[in-house]
This record gives sequence, structure tokens and C-alpha cells, in this order.
Amino acid sequence: MKDDSYILFDNYLNKELSASEIISFEEKRNSDADFKQEFEIYKALETSLASKFENEEAEKELKKTISKLGSKYIKPENSVKKKGKIISLFNYKNLMVAASIALLIGFFLFNNGDPVYSDFSNHKGLELIVRGDNNEASLKAQEAFNSKNYKEALQQLTILSETNTNDTEIELYKGICFLELNIYVEADVIFDAISSGNSAFVNTATWYKALSMLKQEQFEACKYVLKTIPESADEYKQAQKLLKKL
Amino acid sequence: MIQKPHEDHIYIEALLKNDSRVLSKIYEKFSHKIVSYVRNNNGNSDDAQDIIQETLVTIYHQAKEKNFILTCPFDAYFYLLCKRRWLNELKKRGNNRVTILEDNTSITEEQEQQVEETEIFEQQHQLFESKFKELGAKCQELLKTTFKIKSMEKVAEILGVTYGYARKKKSQCMGKLTQLVKDSNEFHQLKAY
Repeated sequence: MKDDSYILFDNYLNKELSASEIISFEEKRNSDADFKQEFEIYKALETSLASKFENEEAEKELKKTISKLGSKYIKPENSVKKKGKIISLFNYKNLMVAASIALLIGFFLFNNGDPVYSDFSNHKGLELIVRGDNNEASLKAQEAFNSKNYKEALQQLTILSETNTNDTEIELYKGICFLELNIYVEADVIFDAISSGNSAFVNTATWYKALSMLKQEQFEACKYVLKTIPESADEYKQAQKLLKKL
Repeated sequence: MIQKPHEDHIYIEALLKNDSRVLSKIYEKFSHKIVSYVRNNNGNSDDAQDIIQETLVTIYHQAKEKNFILTCPFDAYFYLLCKRRWLNELKKRGNNRVTILEDNTSITEEQEQQVEETEIFEQQHQLFESKFKELGAKCQELLKTTFKIKSMEKVAEILGVTYGYARKKKSQCMGKLTQLVKDSNEFHQLKAY
């Protein structure tokens, strides 16, 4: 179907057509099955995307609540309480506090002048909850990442992601490794996917997308991405800081 | 058709309002049965927790987007959704050796219908999400900005383009997305329902 049809759909949904245009639109919809089907999809997509993006923040909050309740009411089996099974509990709140402090310290250390990637690339340490039997890979990944051995970290994270296919945190850190290793295509694919998703890492991934642009010296693209980070995000201040320097 | 909400619709409202007091009742009353089911069928409590969370988020999406009204008791509806999700998950993990323990929960036609409604909603939701990710980065950003900010005048301002251009681009990106959905196998499977 031609672009014109989609513009027409948009105008129709926005109630911007004149009375006679509406009549001819509806006539076409009733007589042309293909036109009708595409319009139905277009309309459904419009509703779905609007709901998704309008409620992103609320959804994040809900997930936090549910996740807290889940850990409170659903206790792990006794048999699984082996020593060393849980390496570190991913405590969201503490991490955020730690991150904010790191951020604040970061602000005082910044130099003036052209912004460079290394000024902004203070990664949060990797701390994984172990859910499967991949204790060893988790430990190795954390050790390697936290000591900036990104090649090794990437290898271990890749092993982990094979058994934890939907783990956004693992994906995000894989992205950071790619970025550190200057493998931009892979990094950008990961950050794009996460930032357009629904996880708690949406804003972090957007921020990293911007960092990737910065490292590739695509300053305009970087600015554009930074502007999409909402005020409510933990990365907002960092983003504004970087924006000012660009 | 005007649907009369069941008294358990409070749980749906609690999801919409992020009311942790009422939401904790869901866990208190209904999670035990689901955890047992998952554990008895090759899963552990972490799996059960994930299944419950994902199911609740799906119901939330449906309620937000489609004003979903619960017309049957929450218990059976929720249990059946979680159970089917876990069976799907087992299939995905390629766990063919599993013998599924059947349980004797009887369900009414109405419950079955509501469960299916939610499942179809989720399939559509996932299809839209995955196709959105197939769009080029520029389209994704543009649409995201558009739906977040809502005013196209502002969107144009942020992107540094004219209003007319922003509108045209938006409908072009939406058109691309429409095509991707329309041409997908999943869409045709959805239609088969």
C-alpha cells in the first residue's frame, strides 16, 4: 500500500478529514478488503504503542511492586539453599543509591572541554543473581567485568545468556562489553533492543546507546538519543550534563 | 455489550493502580497453588515467581489498553493462565521428557473464554513488540517520541524538523510497521482464532 494511505489513516484517526473525505474513506474501507485490513492493523498498532509508551513509567513501578511481593511470598525450596547459590542479591534500591553517589562523584571529576567517552563511562559493577547451574560462569563474568577484562567478561556472559535467554541484565552487560571492545554494531543492536523494551533497564540502555554514539563521535545522533531520556530516569542528570558539553 | 465485572475485578484495578496492599492478597491467596504446580512439573520457585510476574504484567497490559473486565473469579482465571504459560515455557526449553501432572481444576466456559482473550491479547502484544524492534532505529525513536510526547508540534521541535515532515514520517513508519505485522506468519496464525 502507498504512503498516501497511511497518511490518510493517520488523518482519519486524528479526525482531520472533512465530512466528504470521511464518507469516501469509509466507502473505501467497506469495499476494499485489503485497505480495511491494513487500517485495522494500523489502528491496533496505534492503540498498542500509545498504551506502551504512555505507561512505561507506571509499568516499571508495578514491576517493582510485583517483584518485591514475589520475593516476600514465594520462598525458595529448602533444598536449593545451598551455600554459594546466591552470589549477590540484586538489591535495586541499594544499587540506585550507590549509582547516584557514583554519579555525584562523577560530576565533580569532570573536566571542561570536549566530552569524551571515558569521562562518562563509569559502569555499574556487575552483580548477578544466579538462577541456573552456571555459578562458575556468573562468578567469572563478574570478576572479569569488574576488573575491566571485557573480552573475558563477554565470553562468560555469552555462555550465561545461552541458558538465560530473556535476561535483560545479562544482555545489557554484553552490550557494554561490546562497546568497550569497540564492536559498535553488536553493541547498538543490544542497546536498541533493550531501550525499546519494557524492562527496568530501558533508560540505562538508552543512555548507553548515547554513549556508543559519543564513542563513535556521532555527536548529533548522540544528542538526539540523549533528549529521549525522561526526567524521571536515573540517567537524566548525566544525560543533561553530556548534552551541555555537546 | 456491557459486561458486569466480577467482584474479583478489584485485583485488576489493583494492578492498574499499583496498589500493593491488594496485590499482596493475590500472592497470599493464589500463588501457593501455582508454585506447587510449577514445582511438581520440573520447575522451581524462581520459575513460579517469573511465571506469576509475567502473567500479572500481561493482565495489566490488557487492562490498560483494552479496559479488560474480569467477569469470572480471579482464582481459576489466574491459575489457568499461569499453568498454560508454564507449559509453554517447558516446551520452549525443549523439555520433552516431562510428564505433565494433570490436576482436577474444573473450569467453566466463561473462564476458558476469558483466559483465551488474555492469551490472544498477549500474542498480539508480543507480535507488535517484536515487529517494532524490526523497524530501523530512526523509526523506532520517532514513534517512541511521538507516543510519549503526544503533541506532534513538540515532537517536530525536538527533532528539529517541520510539523508536516514529522507527521509524514510518523505515518510512514507506522505504515512500515503495519506491513511487517501484516506479512508475518504470526499474524496469520492470530487470525486463525
